[in-house]
Amino acid sequence: MNTTDWNALDTEDFRALVRGFFEQHYPESLRYPKRRLRWAEIRDWTLRLSAQGWLAPSWPARYGGMGLSPEKLIAFIEEQERHGVARAPDMGITMVGPLLIQHGTDAQRAHYLPRILSCEDIWCQGYSEPDSGSDLASLRTEAVPEGDDFVVNGQKTWTTLAQDATHIFLLVRTDKAAKKQQGISFLLADMRTPGITVRPIRNIAGHEDFCEVFFDNVRVPRANLVGELNQGWTMAKSLLGSERIMIGNPRGARAPLLRLRELAQSSGLDRDAAWRARHDELRLDVDDLDALFVRCADVLRRGLELGPEVSMLKIWVTEAQQRVADLMLETAGESGVIDASLALPGGALHPANVFFSARPASIYGGSNEIQRNILARGVLGLPG
Amino acid sequence: MSAALADPDRLQQLQMLRASALAFSAKESPPSRARALRAEPPGFDLQFWQALAAQGWTGLLAPESAGGYAQGFAEMAEIAAALAAQVAPEPLVPVLVFAGRLLQACSGHPTARALLEEIAAGRALPAVAWQEDASDAGNFDQRGCLAEPAATCARQGGDLVLRGGKRHVRPGAAATGYIVSASSPHGLALVWLPAGTEGLVTAVRRLADGTCAARLHFQGIAVPADHLLAVGRAAEDALAAAYDEALVLAGVELAAVCRQMLSMTLDYLRTRKQFGKPIGSFQALQHRAVDMLIQQELSGALVAHAVGELDRGCAGAERALLAARVKARCSEAALAVARESVQMHGAIGFTDECDLGLYVQRALVLSAWLGNGALQRRRFAHLSRNTAGLPEAAA
Repeated sequence: MNTTDWNALDTEDFRALVRGFFEQHYPESLRYPKRRLRWAEIRDWTLRLSAQGWLAPSWPARYGGMGLSPEKLIAFIEEQERHGVARAPDMGITMVGPLLIQHGTDAQRAHYLPRILSCEDIWCQGYSEPDSGSDLASLRTEAVPEGDDFVVNGQKTWTTLAQDATHIFLLVRTDKAAKKQQGISFLLADMRTPGITVRPIRNIAGHEDFCEVFFDNVRVPRANLVGELNQGWTMAKSLLGSERIMIGNPRGARAPLLRLRELAQSSGLDRDAAWRARHDELRLDVDDLDALFVRCADVLRRGLELGPEVSMLKIWVTEAQQRVADLMLETAGESGVIDASLALPGGALHPANVFFSARPASIYGGSNEIQRNILARGVLGLPG
Repeated sequence: MSAALADPDRLQQLQMLRASALAFSAKESPPSRARALRAEPPGFDLQFWQALAAQGWTGLLAPESAGGYAQGFAEMAEIAAALAAQVAPEPLVPVLVFAGRLLQACSGHPTARALLEEIAAGRALPAVAWQEDASDAGNFDQRGCLAEPAATCARQGGDLVLRGGKRHVRPGAAATGYIVSASSPHGLALVWLPAGTEGLVTAVRRLADGTCAARLHFQGIAVPADHLLAVGRAAEDALAAAYDEALVLAGVELAAVCRQMLSMTLDYLRTRKQFGKPIGSFQALQHRAVDMLIQQELSGALVAHAVGELDRGCAGAERALLAARVKARCSEAALAVARESVQMHGAIGFTDECDLGLYVQRALVLSAWLGNGALQRRRFAHLSRNTAGLPEAAA
């Protein structure tokens, strides 16, 4: 249990403390990695964070998190970004934890939460299927009760870092007769269960960040059902708030923006008035998101359900990130397409990878087109 | 979270004030009133100003010693937003915030204190006359701060003699006088120049929304020495603070105008039918409407944060940066929403008969006032480079 009240600290003091820790303990060779790191590469650092009690900044302190307020959470994440700290596999922290805290049984919480915090379990997310992308509720991976188990058959795809995960949380069909949203349940499965096969998919940047996961007569204990049978869709929807606010964090765009500025300083383009005007516009696009982010994060912190308005964060930050990536590629010119990192004073920078990694941001977590549909109906009340 | 929202009593009072301001402006200031007033200067209604005074709103920000109510910016924002939502043309922010706060910062001075009392009572409508450059850029120096004026103020016998000219002064007509910024041997001077002073030439310019701005010429006109409201560092600080506060409150008005335009557009999308269904059922229009919503909410959250920060007493570079950001975002958001609103209304949106046009015209004027989005972004960049102690790259 964390006992420090981080929120009582002055934000600048808190930043200094966090920054000091990163500077002292984060491995120099892993700063600003040019691609998503694999578990073997980021493991030691993640364990260090875990030992420090800093692995779950947003979880309530009573579950072993830091219990940070939205302002402190932004500061924490910004300091991570500023130092070029890589993102560890965080599905356990951002998704499974909030899911179990809200909908799990005491036994599930007691079993899984400590194992997430100690990094014993590494989670991946089994949502999308080959025929169920934007229309996720049409998913067909099936779980049939048999004795004390469910027997799972089907296929998940776009499962980020499944090859490194020990566990997967997945949406499965448990009632084929019901309306599509009403026959879905939430299951937790151990990736070492016989019948699970993982096949990595090479992406446009040449990396294997995501995978296909096949389920062939996989037996999952009934005790691994989260919430009630056939209530999975409702829970997944309430979790979407956590996911979108995670994606909607200003960091997604702020980190590349800082690197963009460095890149332009190294080439002298930052002295060009036209370049600066574009940069300054992007900078404010990112800075101005803070107030909206804090408003949404505060709703979550007070234990309230986030409405569809959180989709705005996701749209804005991912599209701002893409505008930053576009300008970065343009600023780098021909050097930007060399498949090697540029050596900048603040660390290595691979502009083409920044461009590539900005692409899926507007696709995953519900494509931005789906987010706009949600807002049009749910907030603007436009007819269907 | 702003200080105002953290205090439940104040939050409740703000909600009551909002309700009464909205009820008052809806009843007393329908868009048809604004429409009629566009025809001729001053473009607003002095009797309506008296009605605002009767509500106590002209004295909202003024201290009790000047007959005011010593309320915060959050309260002022409620009034400004409610009136802006009805496109009321009265110069609330120019007079009550820009001039009023400037005078309050000089209120050790008897002339300033007397003027402040007159404002609170609804009898005086002073305007701040500080701009000299037609396109605005020259009103700021390389650091993004207010530039030293070319207008001068010199002592001559017992009088002050003003020389120079000012532009974009609002209210442009019906102002009872001008707080003129001028360079003096002792630094920046703020001088009270009553309307009608002999030798003062005032040219009234009609603006796109039917309100007015003035161009002033004063070639060697004398005012009494006790009209020097502040000089030197005190004058610089007072002008910088009032300017930032006016930027934020202009942001409040822009956000309200933006909200109203989107609301009108959504009504239209729900009711206008083509191809047998409401045009709002078409996904292409829905997605563009969502982009308008995002602009509205980004600017709304930012401006609410900024109002809270002003009430918290945020000062110096921090205040300047925040105010520049607010004005930049709210100006761009209002213009973007204005353009899309006209487009989605189709030809009717281009007619003078449609009330949308009143809001589009107001958005044009407010977004340009005190420096538009592009200018404020440049200022923000200059200010933040200086604040961060980074060397300024040659532009």
